[in-house]
Amino acid sequence: MPVAEPGGCFGRALVIDVTDGSSRVLPLPERVLRECLGGVGLGTWLLSELGPPGVDPLAPEAPLAFVFSPLVGTPLTTSAKFAVVGKSPLTGLLTDALASSHFAISGKLTGHDALVLVGRAERPSVVAVRGGDVQLLDGSAEWGLSSADAEASVRERLGRGWQVASTGSAGERGVRYATLSHDGRHAGRGGLGAVLGSKQVKALAVHATTKVAPAHPQQVLTAARDLRTRSLGRATVKARELGTMANVLAYNALSTLPTRNFTEAVFEGAPALAAEELAAARGVTRSSCASCSIGCEHLYTGKGGKKVRMEYQNVSALGSLCGVSDPDAVLAASARCDELGIDTISAGGTIAWAMECAERGLLDAPWLRFGSGVALLRALDEIGSGEGLGPLLALGSRAAAAVVGGDSLTFSAQVKGLEIPGYEPRTMHAMALGLAVNARGADHNRSGAHEADLSGDLDRLRGGPAHVLGAIASEDRAAVMDSMILCSFLRGVFDEPFREWAELLSLVTGWDVDETELRATAQRIVLAKRAYNLREGWTPEDDWLPERFLTQDLTMASGRTAALTPSRLRSMISAYYEARGLDPSGRPYD
Amino acid sequence: MGQPKAGLEWHGSTLLRRVVGLVQRGVDGPVVVVRAPGQALPSLPAGVEVLDDPHEGRGPLQGIAVGLSALSDHAESAFVCSTDLPLLHPAFVRRVTRDSDTADVVLPYVDGHRQPLAACYRTSLAATATRLVEQDRLRPAFLLDGVQVVVLDEPALRADAALSAVDPGLASVCGVNTPEEYAALRARPAPAVRVSCSGVLARAGGHAPTTVRAATLGAAADLVGVVLDRHVLAAVNGDQATRDPELPLANGDSVMLVSADAGG
Repeated sequence: MPVAEPGGCFGRALVIDVTDGSSRVLPLPERVLRECLGGVGLGTWLLSELGPPGVDPLAPEAPLAFVFSPLVGTPLTTSAKFAVVGKSPLTGLLTDALASSHFAISGKLTGHDALVLVGRAERPSVVAVRGGDVQLLDGSAEWGLSSADAEASVRERLGRGWQVASTGSAGERGVRYATLSHDGRHAGRGGLGAVLGSKQVKALAVHATTKVAPAHPQQVLTAARDLRTRSLGRATVKARELGTMANVLAYNALSTLPTRNFTEAVFEGAPALAAEELAAARGVTRSSCASCSIGCEHLYTGKGGKKVRMEYQNVSALGSLCGVSDPDAVLAASARCDELGIDTISAGGTIAWAMECAERGLLDAPWLRFGSGVALLRALDEIGSGEGLGPLLALGSRAAAAVVGGDSLTFSAQVKGLEIPGYEPRTMHAMALGLAVNARGADHNRSGAHEADLSGDLDRLRGGPAHVLGAIASEDRAAVMDSMILCSFLRGVFDEPFREWAELLSLVTGWDVDETELRATAQRIVLAKRAYNLREGWTPEDDWLPERFLTQDLTMASGRTAALTPSRLRSMISAYYEARGLDPSGRPYD
Repeated sequence: MGQPKAGLEWHGSTLLRRVVGLVQRGVDGPVVVVRAPGQALPSLPAGVEVLDDPHEGRGPLQGIAVGLSALSDHAESAFVCSTDLPLLHPAFVRRVTRDSDTADVVLPYVDGHRQPLAACYRTSLAATATRLVEQDRLRPAFLLDGVQVVVLDEPALRADAALSAVDPGLASVCGVNTPEEYAALRARPAPAVRVSCSGVLARAGGHAPTTVRAATLGAAADLVGVVLDRHVLAAVNGDQATRDPELPLANGDSVMLVSADAGG
């Protein structure tokens, strides 16, 4: 088995044309790797290089990149992650989604820093990559299966040592928020599963053929031991003990739990959906990704004994946002999203929008009402089957609002077409800015500005310059963590993150990267995404929030009014552009 | 009192810190503190602007003039109070300010007295107040002459369900003018507040609410065995996320302590 040159990177991507199974090596100079790192940073570069300007996201020419990173394959905890990057059929702009576990390691150990799919297969196919060898296999046996079943089928067919990322049936049908999955973890946002499905590719299978060689293996080992110890400290206790579901009661108490399509921010049914209640009533088991010491995954027992992986975002989108407080319905809906291979946030957001449309008489669906778990599950089934409202809901709320008309776009809770995650912008003004300006659309991972709102240092109801700085800082941190790649749940264990990340990167790659360089890299990655979007048709109007958030005040549990005025949002956006070195319209200066 | 009231100890905090924090909780805009020229003040929460009276010893009307003038760019009206109201309740502030668009002054009338130093004024009265000071007409009552005043008497105040639930005796206007009054008010039990813990913090004491007596957030956290460090945040009545241990609590408050490691 050949071993790569020391340095954590291979210096090449493999570009596979699934039309005929041919492939070519794309050299990745050290300059590119150092400037982009890997993950979402390198993925953005690849998309810019390989994607024809203005390409339809579902056209054969649209590239779909599976991108690894310098840290993948090292013993550093939480580093077994990969990014999937493409042009989103939901937003028409760049989207990048992360998933975890063995696929990341085996994919990188094919000897490539990225695997890029282009073209369209003649028939349903599976792409198998072992080292530099690419096979285009018949995928008709897997077509129509859930991603989990497809994964199992391919692995059984190919034998030991293969790792598989697959889309579900929603990806085949072109549901614009279809996911890509591996081992139950989803590259969830932006519809990358539909991009894979549009290529008539059900799954990508990878088999390791080499090893990764850090520049300073012994020091990496020492750093890994230290990081593992720190990962078991207080900064991750929430993730370990209750997982992200711990947010349900906390966010409800903070009047920031989106409820009934963002008409309220406190949900009376939250206690029934809280981790504390579910853990006691249903039993919970923990799981973790490969190479992870945290183990944030919590699987709850649904009806019939089925284990369902639950996260805060599932409960927010499929529970409070739809007004559903029945835990069985929310667990079942979550499991159904996984089976179909659709993003829970966009699914819940689109259904909640449709519920409001139905209640206002804009949609002829008397069965579709807030609070109905039965309606929630029926809507998901129709999205899966393509019957009834399915084709409309498969578009996502923005495109569906264009079909339904009336004033339905004003309460379509999305930015750039991507549905808003479980954070109420009116009670979190730094987050409101982050949601508005982020390249991916309404996103809580690439912009973790909620950290600024909940820092205890800012007035989260009165956004201003400090909120802008908080939003920028969180974007920069995410840009590096998602490119190196390290799990965002580790962020609290670093006292001086950029310095410490630079040290880790130096140990693995041998580059003399320091904190200053890494901060510049973060800024470059954020701006590179914006530049790609600009090329693909972004306009300043895309950096904005839906009308509901700017015209309708919220009453908080305290009795105070939470409001976000257009002038306040505009002021924060202008300050953000200035701080990012952009012109007043949000474009890079020439 | 023999010493400045602002710095008087109040359950581990100070009178000024407490009153400022309570007003902050009751209003939607900025809070300013007006002091005698160069007066030393105890620590204040972030974001509070401190202004100086232009002249020493001209009484509260001068402070009202300075404060209203400073706020006139930010708000149509402002709640004005003295620093010696330790039992002021945010619900009282909200009740008084609720009628601010109906008159130039919303004036509580409690215990047989008008309460101009626990009242709401239109900020456009700043010029009038300044002129009165210049004319040596220094009593706040002069500001009420010739303007539209809405009086909130005790029945009107108690008709507010939110206020009567937490301050039925309208102790919000109890001032501290003598050492005896200070001692008497200080001897009262601290406010009764409900504290609950969510998530991993609940492991120590369960997440069902517990009622404790605490005048500050720090005291409440202590009483349920939680340290307000960088991993912990508090939501008081679902409002601001904070870990300020000196944040004043008031009767009937509900405090939820949550893990600060947000996200997901």
